[in-house]
Amino acid sequence: MKFKTLDRRVIYLFVFLALSWPLLKGFSIKPARMKSADKFYEIVDQTKSEPNKFAFISFDFGPSTKAENGPQAEVVVEHLMRRRVPVVLFTQYIQADPFLKSIPLKIKAALEAEMPGQKWIYGKDWINLGFRPGSGLLIQSIPKSTNLADLFGVDAFSTPLKEFALFKKPKTLKNISLLGQFTGLVGLFDSYVQFFQTTDYKPVFGHGCTSITIPEAYIYLDSGQLQGLQEGIAGAAWYSKRLTDAYPNRKPDNAILINTGLGIAHLLLIFLIILGNITGLISRSKGG
Amino acid sequence: MNTDFALWTVIMAGVATLAIFSFLIKENPFYRFFEHIFIGISAGLISVQGIRYFLWPQILVPMLGLDIVTYPDGTASKPYEPLLLLYIVPLLFGLLYYFIYSQRYAWLAKLVIGFSLGASAGLAFKGFFAEMLPQLASSFKPLVVMEDAQINYLQSVSNIIFIFTLLAVMYYFFFSIKADSAVEKKFSASGRWLMMVCFGSFFGSTVMARLALLVERLQFILIDWINAIKTVLIA
Repeated sequence: MKFKTLDRRVIYLFVFLALSWPLLKGFSIKPARMKSADKFYEIVDQTKSEPNKFAFISFDFGPSTKAENGPQAEVVVEHLMRRRVPVVLFTQYIQADPFLKSIPLKIKAALEAEMPGQKWIYGKDWINLGFRPGSGLLIQSIPKSTNLADLFGVDAFSTPLKEFALFKKPKTLKNISLLGQFTGLVGLFDSYVQFFQTTDYKPVFGHGCTSITIPEAYIYLDSGQLQGLQEGIAGAAWYSKRLTDAYPNRKPDNAILINTGLGIAHLLLIFLIILGNITGLISRSKGG
Repeated sequence: MNTDFALWTVIMAGVATLAIFSFLIKENPFYRFFEHIFIGISAGLISVQGIRYFLWPQILVPMLGLDIVTYPDGTASKPYEPLLLLYIVPLLFGLLYYFIYSQRYAWLAKLVIGFSLGASAGLAFKGFFAEMLPQLASSFKPLVVMEDAQINYLQSVSNIIFIFTLLAVMYYFFFSIKADSAVEKKFSASGRWLMMVCFGSFFGSTVMARLALLVERLQFILIDWINAIKTVLIA
């Protein structure tokens, strides 16, 4: 049977061609509805733009999981910036540092192009705290802090936080209306579940995970420790669709394109698995 | 960022990506060269970024008063905060770790290791309860779910499957009593089968994650990289 001796490089070529086609043609298919991503969308949509309140968003991902966590983080930060909820960006993962700078700037450019006359300004609409080491120890100190400006001191560009209007008055955990965290690293996510709360206050928590950690993340959704979840690129694609429905002038983003490629790759894999099994059965029946 | 620099960064990233992908054809020196570069960069990057983005701007600059501007009239933008010198204490304590290379003073490194272990153990202990207690509480689910005086069959079945899975898997790992009867053996075996279903979903989601990474890289190569090459060639 020729299939048995098929060079694996032929399969790689098929996968490459199948994935390249939608990318080159810009072809996209409607993403499937993801209930958990819907919940994430709702909690962000219900976050009010109030003085002294802000969203605390942690980008804990690097280039290795950027394909999934990047689009997830982008759609949530975009949603918050559209709703004029101030966003404080932060990371515990050093390789995420460039994304803290590039993602809000990319969103600002897109929003200002979409809505001429409106401006999104650093220091007012978003603040970048940059990379901070300390893992669980630092996360634990956030709820205990009586003034987050004293705890963090300066932003990623060495500007004292007290110089920003948002941090002029002392801010604590209770001023954080929403916590969003995007990572493929389960350990960092756990730190937030464990320590980002006081006995009388816990911000609404939305999480973006990679596809690998979806089964684990569902546990936290079921227990109520998470209020929203974006499951891999599929979650980001559905969230993106919800955003486009709500803001029709919005330009399509990467999430739906990658999700389309992923769907086609899955179809190809299913086809190959079925083909492999059929040829295997035929070969066995012939005593091969 | 300088446009030329950004362009060459994209081109270089594309070459590196293709070099790593070339392993799919066969092991080759092009792949091996970039693999070594990648390992070297990974090792160096963390320490450089730690100094550049954290140690220098957030510890050394304020501690040394380098963020204070002295105006022409001799006044300063802000007074120096002497308490910042206390940063020296944890800095020196952390540096004791390097005594691990000395046979005579290795005990000093053990102080730092002991401190780290103690802090980690304390955090893990506290974290375990903060994380697990809500999950334990949520595992107590009603087997019959009532909504508006009617049974919600779908949710009820879901809860029954959840409870059965929980008990069966726990029973599979219960080694204190030997499962002798046929019922016990089947219950234990069903725990194993349910775990297999779970591992299958883990495997499926792993494939999904890896393919998403591949799609993103292909998008980069086919669109960003090709466009960068075209820009260079036209220029």
